[in-house]
Amino acid sequence: MEQHETRQLTFHGEGAKLFGIYIVNILLTLVTFGLYYPWARAALLKYMYEESEFEGSRFTFHGTGKEMFKGFIKAIGIFLVLYGILFGGMATQNATFMMLGLAIFYIGLLLLIPIAIHGALRYRASRSSWRGIHFGYRGDRKELLNTFIIGAIITLVTFGIYGAWLVIELRKYIFKNLRFGNITFSYEGEGGAFFWLNIKGYFLTLLTLGIYSFWWVKDLFAYYVNNIRMYQGETRLAFRSTATAGGYFKLLIVNVLIVVLSLGLATPWAIVRTMQFVFSNIHIDGPLDVDAIVQTEADYTDATGEDLADMIDIGIV
Amino acid sequence: MYNFSVRYHDGRLSIAHDATLTLMPDHWLIHYRDPSGELTSVRWALPGIVTDENFSNLFIFRYGEFPQQTIECKDGIMPETLKKRYPEKVFFRKRITDIFKLNNTTIVGVALAVLMLMGLGYWFGLPWLAGAVASRFPVSTEVKMGDTMYENMMHAYEIDQRLTAATNDFAKAIDFKTHYPIRITVVKDKEVNAFALPGGRIVVFDGIIRKMKTKEELAALLAHEVSHVHYRHSLRNIFRSLGGYLFLSLLLNDINGIVTVLADNSNMLANLTYSRELETEADTKGMAALAGNGISLKGFVDLFTLLRGEHGDVGSLKLLSTHPLTEDRLRAAEVMVERQKGVRDDRELEGEWEVIQDMSNK
Ligand SMILES: [Zn+2]
Repeated sequence: MEQHETRQLTFHGEGAKLFGIYIVNILLTLVTFGLYYPWARAALLKYMYEESEFEGSRFTFHGTGKEMFKGFIKAIGIFLVLYGILFGGMATQNATFMMLGLAIFYIGLLLLIPIAIHGALRYRASRSSWRGIHFGYRGDRKELLNTFIIGAIITLVTFGIYGAWLVIELRKYIFKNLRFGNITFSYEGEGGAFFWLNIKGYFLTLLTLGIYSFWWVKDLFAYYVNNIRMYQGETRLAFRSTATAGGYFKLLIVNVLIVVLSLGLATPWAIVRTMQFVFSNIHIDGPLDVDAIVQTEADYTDATGEDLADMIDIGIV
Repeated sequence: MYNFSVRYHDGRLSIAHDATLTLMPDHWLIHYRDPSGELTSVRWALPGIVTDENFSNLFIFRYGEFPQQTIECKDGIMPETLKKRYPEKVFFRKRITDIFKLNNTTIVGVALAVLMLMGLGYWFGLPWLAGAVASRFPVSTEVKMGDTMYENMMHAYEIDQRLTAATNDFAKAIDFKTHYPIRITVVKDKEVNAFALPGGRIVVFDGIIRKMKTKEELAALLAHEVSHVHYRHSLRNIFRSLGGYLFLSLLLNDINGIVTVLADNSNMLANLTYSRELETEADTKGMAALAGNGISLKGFVDLFTLLRGEHGDVGSLKLLSTHPLTEDRLRAAEVMVERQKGVRDDRELEGEWEVIQDMSNK
């Protein structure tokens, strides 16, 4: 048995190319008064995928500006309605209506989070492929919404403590429903362990005047990565993080210098460094048969969730 | 010459087949040995072949319904060959993103040129655009907007009701030639300051009134502020900063920033500094309005002198930052005084002024 088999992703992106993409994107977005934004995002994602390699093959993002534009318009519509309610309430200058407007606005925003996560996962997964095999997300929107709402209420009642369990619960649900052809995933983290990890990180960071934060980030990343499992038939594969606090420190310090000294212009180079750091520190251990992944997932083209998630600033993968 | 070595994915299994692609007149022929050693061939009819848009020099073609079959080819002469072989079908459409395939120095060069253009747009295009948008903004909305800002701001100040009434009476004795409803509020504050909100609200601090010696100074101050209102300077400012914010958030690729700015507090926007051009315009138009009323423009000179005396020089003070005072403005006012003809002594205005002075000197 080859138990020591391990695989990695590699990122080949170049700062200069990414810089060019950013500049063209910004320019076109400006001259079209923002309408180009979905195409800009599609171009950026296409580039990032294309430069990501696994076992000698690159990933592909199949999403198009057109699909994302439709999602963009819907997402903007949803936001306009929410802001309309908020400003409508404010304009009445009446305390009851103001409170009501505020409440609807924030509850709406809160509900949008799981809806956006769900839609974004479905769209993004379906539009991602490797060697022609597509990813997929089979989660149920209602189920995710329920988990999220109940979790959010408990988190509120417990003054945020339950938040750690909620995050783990969401990760478990998402990974359980993630597919890559006939490959399935799971997340093995536990709320309690995650909670103590954060408590420890928080207080040690305070005590060490921030120095411990690099270890904290390292631990969080490791807790995320090390608990991911991947299954190919009977074979179980584990993810492993090799990131160190020192590595994080170097990444962060150099990135801050790059961004600050260039007045932000060199941000793409910092992004490339980050991607390389993340990819080079994730190992997939176990005997994966990279030639035997079977296509299983269906097509899905509604990008509303992707655009919503982008606007609320939820980062997925 | 019509053979290429490619990688082929059949869309059902993740295996990568090393295959040979042959460009036939009306279709592509792909053959490879499958893992059992059997020779297999696949036929792609020309019309169904799609080229993947990408940024690198790896050419990717897809075929058929979802899940699609894929060919990857690294051969640099492929685009040329395809053009020659199939002149009637376009495989590689020209796109703006093709510049990413150029070398990195060119990309950075183009990018820097674009950045300069954006800089020009920011410094020159934006103010022009803001002015254009502001001039199309409906007056009634502007008045409402100003009133809302006013309501919000007044929580922070204590209004001097008697001075407010007296100053409004004073203003009514002057014809400012504006269709905006001018409503002045005097607030109790030692600071030497005054500002105008969109739609006709003007807020004057009693600190500045106490420092004034003549009715012309107050007339000059009001004329200046009314010009800010009449020529929509705050609106222009608001649109400018909104545009600037939009511009910057696009630059930082941050769409939620645009959403946030909508929810942003408008108070902040009202207190923005006017540019030197807008200040000069407010002076010029204000002087024209006073001259039309036969009021001496010496008020402007005295007002500027008062401000300068108050703050020593062009420093960090409030009125200076909301209405930057420059030596040029003082000198321009002196020139206008010398040219002015037809100064009348306005009895009514003098009467109103005496009322204000009595109140403020107590
Ligand atoms: Zn001014």
